[in-house]
Amino acid sequence: MNPRAVTSDVLLGIVPIALSVALWQAIVSFGYAPATLLPPPGLVFMRLAQQLTTSGFQQEIAATLFRLFAGFSIAVIFGVSIGLAAAASPGVNAVVRPIVRVLAPLPKVALYPALLLLLGFGHESKITLVAADALFPILLSTYYGASMVEQKLIWSAMAAGTPRGQILLKVVLPAAVPSILTGCRIGLVISCIVVFLAEMITSTDGLGHLLVTAARTFQAVDMFVPLITISLLGLILNGLLQAVRSYLLRGFPEV
Amino acid sequence: MISMRALVSRSAPLLACLGLLGIWQIGALILNTDSFPTALDAIRAIPSILGDKESLINILASLRRMAIGFSLAVAVSIPLGLMMGRSRGVASFFNPLLMVIYPVPKAALMPIIMLWLGVGDLAKTLVIFLGVSLPVIYHSFQGAKAVEEKMLWSGAAMGLSATQRMMRIVLPAALPEILTGCRTGLVLALITMVTSEMIARQSGAGNILFNALDMGQYDAVYAMIIIIGAMGIGLDAAFEKLRGKLVRWSEPGFDIPLSFA
Repeated sequence: MNPRAVTSDVLLGIVPIALSVALWQAIVSFGYAPATLLPPPGLVFMRLAQQLTTSGFQQEIAATLFRLFAGFSIAVIFGVSIGLAAAASPGVNAVVRPIVRVLAPLPKVALYPALLLLLGFGHESKITLVAADALFPILLSTYYGASMVEQKLIWSAMAAGTPRGQILLKVVLPAAVPSILTGCRIGLVISCIVVFLAEMITSTDGLGHLLVTAARTFQAVDMFVPLITISLLGLILNGLLQAVRSYLLRGFPEV
Repeated sequence: MISMRALVSRSAPLLACLGLLGIWQIGALILNTDSFPTALDAIRAIPSILGDKESLINILASLRRMAIGFSLAVAVSIPLGLMMGRSRGVASFFNPLLMVIYPVPKAALMPIIMLWLGVGDLAKTLVIFLGVSLPVIYHSFQGAKAVEEKMLWSGAAMGLSATQRMMRIVLPAALPEILTGCRTGLVLALITMVTSEMIARQSGAGNILFNALDMGQYDAVYAMIIIIGAMGIGLDAAFEKLRGKLVRWSEPGFDIPLSFA
């Protein structure tokens, strides 16, 4: 793609976002919605900018980010290792497959009350929920990535004298990296969403809690601020993951 | 005559269910606390929930909202996704907007939407609609993008108009991918349904679940979890059957849904 086409794509992409902000502003300024229900966008973004500098708000973001990363990391560790094990050994596969089939379509949010009862109202229950939700996309894409590895690569490695135990780490894992990263990307979006929901349902801090407190006191402006923040966090984290991806896949052909 | 192997592979999910319930039972017996009843206790509490007329009406109302939200979302998202897949302009027009919306938890919009539309069915259905549409759009987009150009050229050479090409070439070719998106959307509809009812505590399955939690009826909490879980697994299995009928010609890429929250 030439740079000019990319710029025109970007410009075209900004249009709907700008349009929706303009529509938002128009609805407010023509008086279709009272400012208590729909605050003007300028006010919301001002409030966001002002909040970002306060230490209280930063602590809420930090609490949310901590849970997000803790849950996501657990999901990555378990997802990748179980996925690899299932792809490598038929025995593990026979056990993991039916369990995943049952657990993957289960709405994990419904498990949250059970987690609350078992693990308490602190970090643990939320981190577990995030991990449980992010686990399956990562596990599945690792599994599919690892089972799609070309047999010739494995044979060549074996012919070159790689010990059997190391083939998994030196051949299968690197070859499955693009697929694993795709899974991680889905898992990351899910983590953002789930951590927010868990904080909305029961929490004493975090962005979700901010939204709920604002909703209880009918502070419409403060309700928009956490939502925009989580959207921005999602975009930033996605961008970071893209950077990691292009670094890890620097030798790969275009994927 | 079904072979032994097929029998085993068919009953494997059932065995997995039983195994998980067994682990639960043993874990609960070991922990032995009030807040973690055994699997048998929880299963015993199911009939009293389903037998209660009010909760049954609540659960059915939840399912109705879910069905309406899901169908509307599918009806809007598939054409949009297909158009995005076939036209680069449409794609670059909508993509950034969708990227901004993606990490926002749809159920978190509930408090704001409640301010505008009240706590009724409309708000909850709208949230389900929003939650389902993104994965369906995404998968339809990917499916339509992967359609082979040559087929479209041949279609055009044989005199099909743009709409006919869309309906008769792009739609069938993208169908397996679209159905994958719908499957994700189905799980997601259930998740959004439960969460929206947890937040707008007024009616529905999610409300029963959290009311039981607040009142300390732990058996009922776990029974509700089993009911919602069974809905998820049942709907997914039913959809998979349907998909197998519709696109028997295509090899399933993922036979397990990649669920989005």
